[in-house]
Amino acid sequence: MTDPFNPYLPEVATILETVQETHNIKTFRVRFDDEAKMKAFTFEPGQVGQLSAPGIGESTFVINSPPTRMDYLQFSVMRAGEVTAKLHTLTAGDKVGVRAPLGNSFPVADMKGKDIVFVGGGIGMAPLRTLFLYMLDNRADFGKIRLLYGARSPQDMAFSAELPEWTGRSDIETTLTIDREAEGWQHKVGLIPNVLLEMAPAADNCVAITCGPPIMIKFTLEALKKLGFADEQIVTTLEKRMKCGIGICGRCNIGTSYVCVDGPVYTYAQLKQLPNEL
Amino acid sequence: MAAVKYIPREKLPEWLKALAAQSRVLVPVEEGGSVVFRQYDPARAPVFGSDATAPPKGAVFPACQELFSYAYGKEGEDNAPTLKLDPKTEAQPTVVFGSKPCGARGFLIFDRVYMGKKFPDPYYIAAREATVFVTMACATVENTCFCHWVGSGPADAAGSDVLLTPVEGGYTVEAVSEKGAKFLDNPALTDGAAKAAEAEAVKKASRDALGEAPDIASSPAALLSLFDDMEFWRDQSDKCVSCGACTYLCPTCYCFSITDEGTGTAGRRMRSWDACMHFQFTLEASGHNPRPTKAHRLKNRVGHKFSYYPTLHDGLIACCGCGRCVKSCPVSVDIREIVQNAVAKAKG
Amino acid sequence: MSRLDALKTRIKEALPGLECVIGWQKGYDALHNTPLFIRGEADVDKLEWGALNVHNPAVYLPSFAGKKVGVVVKGCDSRSVVELLQEKLIDRDNVVIFSAGCDGVVDIAKVRAKLAAAGLNAGNAEKVAVDGKTVTVTAAGKAVSMPMAEVAADKCLRCQFPNAVLADAFVGDPAPQVQAAPAADADLAALDAMSVPERMAFWRYHMDRCIRCYACRNACPMCVCRDHCIAQSREPHWLSQEDSVTEKLMFQVVHAMHLAGRCTECGECQRACPMDIPVLALKKHLNRTIHDLFDYQAGVDVAAIPPLLQFKLEEDNIKERSW
Repeated sequence: MTDPFNPYLPEVATILETVQETHNIKTFRVRFDDEAKMKAFTFEPGQVGQLSAPGIGESTFVINSPPTRMDYLQFSVMRAGEVTAKLHTLTAGDKVGVRAPLGNSFPVADMKGKDIVFVGGGIGMAPLRTLFLYMLDNRADFGKIRLLYGARSPQDMAFSAELPEWTGRSDIETTLTIDREAEGWQHKVGLIPNVLLEMAPAADNCVAITCGPPIMIKFTLEALKKLGFADEQIVTTLEKRMKCGIGICGRCNIGTSYVCVDGPVYTYAQLKQLPNEL
Repeated sequence: MAAVKYIPREKLPEWLKALAAQSRVLVPVEEGGSVVFRQYDPARAPVFGSDATAPPKGAVFPACQELFSYAYGKEGEDNAPTLKLDPKTEAQPTVVFGSKPCGARGFLIFDRVYMGKKFPDPYYIAAREATVFVTMACATVENTCFCHWVGSGPADAAGSDVLLTPVEGGYTVEAVSEKGAKFLDNPALTDGAAKAAEAEAVKKASRDALGEAPDIASSPAALLSLFDDMEFWRDQSDKCVSCGACTYLCPTCYCFSITDEGTGTAGRRMRSWDACMHFQFTLEASGHNPRPTKAHRLKNRVGHKFSYYPTLHDGLIACCGCGRCVKSCPVSVDIREIVQNAVAKAKG
Repeated sequence: MSRLDALKTRIKEALPGLECVIGWQKGYDALHNTPLFIRGEADVDKLEWGALNVHNPAVYLPSFAGKKVGVVVKGCDSRSVVELLQEKLIDRDNVVIFSAGCDGVVDIAKVRAKLAAAGLNAGNAEKVAVDGKTVTVTAAGKAVSMPMAEVAADKCLRCQFPNAVLADAFVGDPAPQVQAAPAADADLAALDAMSVPERMAFWRYHMDRCIRCYACRNACPMCVCRDHCIAQSREPHWLSQEDSVTEKLMFQVVHAMHLAGRCTECGECQRACPMDIPVLALKKHLNRTIHDLFDYQAGVDVAAIPPLLQFKLEEDNIKERSW
């Protein structure tokens, strides 16, 4: 008899590679040690995982590599508390635990045939990266794809190794911006919502996906409304303190919605239906 | 349903000893002024009269339990790091003997969350299946009892396997589940047909003693409509001291935390009771807290029980009306009053 | 005019300048009063004064930082207000203290036991009457009279401060002192009589049923770091979440140590404990040591600095240079 599935038990995984993205963001590329489980693993863009450093604890991060690229699962970790501080000390060869996939995913099916605008700020680029790369790998399924990615400074920009490819591709339109002028910066300077208004993507047949710090989200939503986006055309992700990740432990709810299972992906229309407790 | 049986009071130890020979038997006993569930010991007389200070929640959902142990190591010539995780989901066969109906009913609220389709909880399920509830119907009720508000009652058999009812000289014994039927096979139990009418009268008397329940059917919508009325929630929560007595003593409160406890390269991942009334419950690593004040937290506690949970689970209120949160609160915060205030305020 | 009516009059006068006034009102049954937050004139008439005002309303004061509030206090509660002022945890200009003489409060646990001895359940209390030195509780239709001396809170039996040590509005006649000097503490005497292994067994027995709800901590007016407490903190990770007796007792010891020389023995920790664990004894034990070493009593003098919050090169009663 095989044991019933234990949703609390992480898969032991090995870190293949790490990338120090910024002074406080580190990326981990991991594979389950159990090859059969790794090969069988599937997930949808937007789903998250609990990354464990047993002895310290676990925290929730989006799987920011797309399901179309399964050499490894990638997590980008911003150092904030005890678990993330511990994760930052780990390097290639070290063991971690992974519980995934958890949560819902981006409504990819609804996005097919539509134009897409990604608006990412800081570490908020991580969940967008999954969907962005997934779309690049299925390029023909989507219309015009635009990415607006901003950070405080060039040094705060994660995924910098990939930026030349993203800005160089002709089948997408990538705009990078930083808050203030910096030496050698070749791209835009300005706050994300302002740059977005300048870009002025047409709302017609378009979906905007935005993720970033709360203040950026607030003004980005305002900008998108100004550009004529309906609430249903705006998609974002939420963060909450989580423990179980499977809708039981009781802390991540906003009214009846449990962010760990019903989220983290919500349309702005859905968010407006929830009680005001972000 | 099986026929009613009867056990005289003086034969109860005989039955308990027989049960204890086969499994862990937890009974309410007096300890330092409180009544708590402890392993049956013939030398300690169980307390069946009044409701236990703490419900038998820990029998199925321990205050702290190991999810798995972990151990880091090295192996091979290159000293490659290893990590071994070893889960323990087995549960001990247990009889909870002499809980009041509210104590057993609490698990109905757990069941819908822990035995869901998507992520059934193997630890809970193992413990739940290994536990039998031999419940004692209430012959008397207290000022804090309000089980009749939430669709229950002093002789509610929901969540129980066997129901005892105190009658003159002893107890009637009824199996109220298939699991329970197997437990009545003991020579101490005799035919109880002659006592059945008396038992029914006891049940009716305690139900009558509770009186009429107010109509709180509108509580899910009412509480939601007051979500942004922070003045209302300030007034309801003014006296709350944000401790966890209400949640930890609640037969239906099922929230937990997960922490790793260990030293060096080995240890255990534990889950332990957590309380939504504590500031840390929703505190994020960034320092942001979506429920920063006790008003936010009490709103969630009451909202969860009387609005969110029933909305998600066919109207079932996540409260069994045992009244422990009222009785054991250091400052007598009264959830009945809050729900009624909300219902009245929402009506305008 | 009764003490209660006089208090109401003074509170009504002061209320317009205050965020609220904290006192007591009737609770869910006859045996329980509950804290009252007076925010409007209509609330004033809900105020109660008497033997069921068991709570210490000083616990709420630090949460009103920056706002001017009133608080109604018994003599013992006033010491907590003073200790909060001593430690600058509240601002004298932002608190208005109302008080009257206190004739003692009941210990609900003792009342519960008395009723149980009479075959009654405190959960069926219908009526409570306090007449001089007698408390009469009617439960399930039966009246039981109990001498106040037998059901009063332990602190009342040894009370040295039946009248507030600091008040802005003290109404009515002062209450008489129970006795000239404090009687020996029975709880401490019992613990003192135990051998060390017996004492450890005593604490293990009681802490075993602790549910770690931290009511003891949160009901304590001096426990102001409750949202950042080491009990649940991971950084520092001083306590594990394992529910062993060792961990639970460790928390109580940390709690007591933090209160050494600050605790006014209001007894809220023990009263608040839903599991009836005698946790006050730990604080009393440390307070006795503080008293012996520093001849100090917490919460009686706003200007005094608690002994463990200051450093003296040479202590009067610690003669390390002559050891």
